Amino acid sequence: MSLRSSPPRLKALLPVIFAGIFLAALPYSATAAKVPIKFDAYHGYTQTVEYLKAVARAYPELTELIEIGRSTLGKPIYVLAVTNMKTGVALDTLIPLRHSRNEVKNVPPMKRHQGKPGQWVCGATHGNEFTGTEVCLYIIDKLLTGYEKDEEIRRLLDTKVFYICPVVNPDGVYNSVEAGMSQRGNVMLRDEDNDGRVNEDGPDDLNRDGFITQFRYKDPKGEYIIDEVDPRLMVRLQPGEKTTRERYSVILEDIDNDKDGRRGEDPVSGIDLNRNFPEGWFQSNGFPGGQGDYPTSAPEVQALAEFFTNYRNILMAQFFHTSGGFTYRPMGSSPDTAVHPKDAAVYDFILGKKYLEIIGEPVPEAWQNPADIEKFRANLRGRTRNRYALERGYEFPRGWRVSYNEAEDRPYGYGLQADWVYMQYGAFSVTTELWNPLRDLPGFPELKEDASRVEIQRALLKYQDEHYGGKFFLPWKRFRHPELGEGEIGGWVPVYAGSNAYPGEPLLNVCEKHWQFELFRARLLPEVVINEVKTRILYQDANAAPAKIELSGNQALIRKGQAKGKLTVLEVKAYIENRGQLPTHVARGASLPHNREDVVWLLADRDKVKFLLGTPWQRLGVLEGQMKIPVAVREETPGRTAGQRVGPSGPGPISGFPAQRPQAPAEPGTVRSLSPSSREVTWVIAVEGTTPLKVVVSSQKGGTKIKDVVLE
Amino acid sequence: MKSNKLSLRLSLLFILGAAVIFPLNGQKKLQTSPGGYHGELDFPVSWKRYYSYAEWTRIMHELARQYSQLADIQSIGKSRMGRDQFLLTITAKATGKPENKPAMWVDGAIHGNEVNGITCSLYLAWYLLTRYDYDAYVRELVDRYTFYILPGFNVDANESYVTWPNTANNPREPYRPEDDDGDGLYDEDQTEDVDGDGELSMMYIEDPAGEFKLSTDGRRFVRVSDPKDPARRFRLLGPEGYDNDGDGRINEDDIGGPDPNRNFPADWNLQQGNPYPLSEPETRNVYEFWLKHPNIFASFHYHNTGRLIMFATPPRLQPTLTPEQRQQRQQQFQQRLAELRQENKYAQLFDIEVPPEYTEDMRVQIEVVTMGARILKNYRPTPSGRVGQAQAASYEMFGRYAYLIELWGTPDFDADENGDGRVSDEEFLKWIDIELTGEGWINPHKVKHPDYGEIWVGGTAKKHVTRTPPARYMEEEALRNTHFVLYCVSQFPKVEIAEVKLTPLAADLFWVDVTVKNDRAYPTSSDRAVQLRKAEMDKLIFNASPNITLLDLPSGQAALDLSNRASLAPTAKGKVTEFRLKGHDSQTYRYLVKLTGEEGWVEFTVSSKNGGKDVKRLTLKTGS
Repeated sequence: MSLRSSPPRLKALLPVIFAGIFLAALPYSATAAKVPIKFDAYHGYTQTVEYLKAVARAYPELTELIEIGRSTLGKPIYVLAVTNMKTGVALDTLIPLRHSRNEVKNVPPMKRHQGKPGQWVCGATHGNEFTGTEVCLYIIDKLLTGYEKDEEIRRLLDTKVFYICPVVNPDGVYNSVEAGMSQRGNVMLRDEDNDGRVNEDGPDDLNRDGFITQFRYKDPKGEYIIDEVDPRLMVRLQPGEKTTRERYSVILEDIDNDKDGRRGEDPVSGIDLNRNFPEGWFQSNGFPGGQGDYPTSAPEVQALAEFFTNYRNILMAQFFHTSGGFTYRPMGSSPDTAVHPKDAAVYDFILGKKYLEIIGEPVPEAWQNPADIEKFRANLRGRTRNRYALERGYEFPRGWRVSYNEAEDRPYGYGLQADWVYMQYGAFSVTTELWNPLRDLPGFPELKEDASRVEIQRALLKYQDEHYGGKFFLPWKRFRHPELGEGEIGGWVPVYAGSNAYPGEPLLNVCEKHWQFELFRARLLPEVVINEVKTRILYQDANAAPAKIELSGNQALIRKGQAKGKLTVLEVKAYIENRGQLPTHVARGASLPHNREDVVWLLADRDKVKFLLGTPWQRLGVLEGQMKIPVAVREETPGRTAGQRVGPSGPGPISGFPAQRPQAPAEPGTVRSLSPSSREVTWVIAVEGTTPLKVVVSSQKGGTKIKDVVLE
Repeated sequence: MKSNKLSLRLSLLFILGAAVIFPLNGQKKLQTSPGGYHGELDFPVSWKRYYSYAEWTRIMHELARQYSQLADIQSIGKSRMGRDQFLLTITAKATGKPENKPAMWVDGAIHGNEVNGITCSLYLAWYLLTRYDYDAYVRELVDRYTFYILPGFNVDANESYVTWPNTANNPREPYRPEDDDGDGLYDEDQTEDVDGDGELSMMYIEDPAGEFKLSTDGRRFVRVSDPKDPARRFRLLGPEGYDNDGDGRINEDDIGGPDPNRNFPADWNLQQGNPYPLSEPETRNVYEFWLKHPNIFASFHYHNTGRLIMFATPPRLQPTLTPEQRQQRQQQFQQRLAELRQENKYAQLFDIEVPPEYTEDMRVQIEVVTMGARILKNYRPTPSGRVGQAQAASYEMFGRYAYLIELWGTPDFDADENGDGRVSDEEFLKWIDIELTGEGWINPHKVKHPDYGEIWVGGTAKKHVTRTPPARYMEEEALRNTHFVLYCVSQFPKVEIAEVKLTPLAADLFWVDVTVKNDRAYPTSSDRAVQLRKAEMDKLIFNASPNITLLDLPSGQAALDLSNRASLAPTAKGKVTEFRLKGHDSQTYRYLVKLTGEEGWVEFTVSSKNGGKDVKRLTLKTGS
């Protein structure tokens, strides 16, 4: 009997064959980067898209460029999938369906990389925070050039997939970098001042130098004075502060375009995309708290929401912002009690610890010894008024924290993206605020942590004089404003105005650190494998005959029919393990809608195989990873339960986690836990004749793997 | 499987063909009821049948064409599978643009299988258009207000339900792929019409341990009550279908994603409204239309079943009461309701306490649904749910008065012969035989099933017995529901200047008292709109001839006669006084004016975004 060699499915192989032909035709120029990239200037939207298209052309075997949606002004939002396109298993190609009603084709075919654990990295949700875009491009370059020369990266791309979205907010980035106007929000076609016209009065490039900088003019009621140390700087007076110096007003370059007596009251700038996600968008009283008409109302946010909905394989997510040089982990819209202790442990003791090491800041003692959390908590008692710190057993360090305002017990914001991805999608999402000039500029003078804004500005101005030839700051030049009269235009060139890493070496340093952090995170992704499939023949008959039984009284009469051919009763045991570091879901991930537990299928020809023990597919639960997660037991405040949204934002989208949806009843005895990370699955099947058998394990975030069953 | 889908029925073409004999003129002179004739024959169409997507959208196009002075058709967007969501905008174009008039929104069949909502909303459109020339009531409403009518909301699932074999409960949701059983595949195991009769009924298989047997007349499977009963036994397999993915189960991952009526952004939650608010093209298109049409004042949403008038309610107070207090309160409530019902058997009252800033909304909703109970007769008003529901979003996010109508219901009143309040299987079958002359029932018959071998198929058919009414029952229900919508529109606010009264003070000074009123049930803006800061205040604008000056009075209560408290009235706030008129409300404002010379005039304009406008001018004369 030969179950050994299963005939390869031609359909599944075709792409591989074509890819092979294509590759053979390509001149393979070893290790030199096929698409060189430099970081001595910002790429903005246009050059980023050119780069993405170039690498997608140059590396078809490692990339897929996906347009996930369009901005308000119709600019495509791209995600570059980076992975070995020849590896990965699409589950839907393996399971043949019968007698389906084919009226509706609503299910798109699965992609092979959807069968691999995924990591999301994106930049520039805020248009003027495009350092994240550069880090994304740097990571793409490192991955693609690393594939040839670095064994670890090759393995990573063979088994995992990166989804990299350098520009989430194309209109905002375009305006900030290409159009010389700093813009945090997206573009919205909205009539802010209700005058019947849309976006008719925004800032204006009055001196036509390509930048929206500032206009200063003498004004007895002005709130600014000229800095005594560096006369290029304008210093804002404290409210009520007196001065004998000349007072100035400082405004953006702007005129009253619609002659309604106001300047800049209806600009193109729309909403903050990082306040437009569904998690915690509403206030507890039912009124909107976040921005936009409704959660995901911005096309850019809907594009992301839709992408995440369709790509369930992401377990790590990074949303790069600027600036400050630290990382926010969830939550910002709810207190920390909403985060499951197990996830908090992954976040703080594993990811946070590493992040602090990378940026060179001290790791809290409690994170080194989570087992002693009781001791640290006792130390905190009486020394902090932060009840959440007490529950955890530690205060957050500067470099790794939540954005929720724990001191005042109120949300940092409503509708935050990283909160949404953690809470409603189920991935370890973080928001890294890139770039801290005090730490990231080589040769920058030592300033105290509490240095005043003007001190930092003076130092930055001097630094750019010395290192960048002073091109970051436009000297003040006389200008006659049609409405405000004489004054001067000048100031920081918007792209260099402070919130982005300076191009060249400083930017490269920021990129390298955060590539290291993302690489560290990728190494933790789960990896579900079929270690072994064992078979045992329980019975075999070369020419089995079916039989009928007739009962009469106490006698059973067996009537044998004609011999039909070979019959084998076979026991199949599959050994499945998560060899990756982290579990295949966040703590409550499997219970979220559109998520599921890991499953295993035994694939066989339905006409030849009968399942005697065990059903064709079985649920495995969530496979833990190899890493021991040092969960610190929390002190629960009465009335608070981890997992329930509490606090000012009230009962939010997820109040409690209902049990898993009713699913296939588990067949008792067929799935056995060998360890938290491994399972033994047993089937007994009757096989008529010979037929190939395969075991497929499919974990949403741990990958899909297939193994032929070889008869022992 | 029979393939009659998409083929436009010839009969319909014939009916519509008859319509175009009449001139394409929807706005003749009003001719009230010549001999009881009300214009229905201007556009004859049968309301005793269900229409496919091609058919009912064709009717919409024909209506818009024939009544082009009153109706426009547009697509508000496409469904997931690319079908247009067509919307009729109905108003007399001669009296103003649709977007400048307060509007009623009506949608049908957000749930795919609730297709009698299509009939109901389409009937409303037809009724407005065909009666406009003959019915003064309809004419006034169509002149003054706009109707936005979206007969089919969930067009993909609507079309599947009408055209293809389905159970009574499916398909219900839009077609977002979803892995219901968690096996890693999406929508891979749907129902199928195993016996090819165009209906999905129940499958049974012979099984000595089964709970069912065939009834003596062989028409249905009945539960075996006596365990010793020697009859052949059957086991219920479920709705017709195949085991498509070979996992031993049937129909466990049918088509359909999230419930569209949990997908709206009001009290939204992930578990019910997944994957994110307005994730479906069908719901998003509707909501985006709402955002662009702030003139919508109220909304209707047709569902089935249960014969309910569900109305969106304000947030509630949950007073903490002792059990005794609770019981006492309940008693008072019941007593009050009983008293009300002595006057009017349809009187409604709800044991709901709302915050003081929402009392007007609660009051008007009770008034409206009380009339609804009277108009719809065997319908029961009840507060609607909230979680992600369209009508809740309509109220909570926009401040509109919103109603979810659960059309139709199991035919208790017709079928329940012994009056025990429920319909037994026997009574149900008898109802089918008598009322439906046997239609809608499939007698058990043997079928060969590829997965199970010999099985039996039989039971209730989908079309149209339980979930959707038998086609012949639809028209009267549609008519009554149309009356209810029209009643609501007739109660949209209407501001008027009731009276301008002049009282001499001294010399050339005069008091002018202006009374503004709204006779209708609805206020000029809802309490919710006020809370959302979406409400626009009503304005009373003062204008006068140049020789009349308005004296600037501080705000307060001015008396005509100090000894008479009844003569107090609030002073107007300069030339523009702002206020909000509630339902059945009137307010008086007092002006002090000075007349120079012998003759002048004052003019008052009351202007309200939703209540319209009214002007009154008064001439002032001195002398002889």
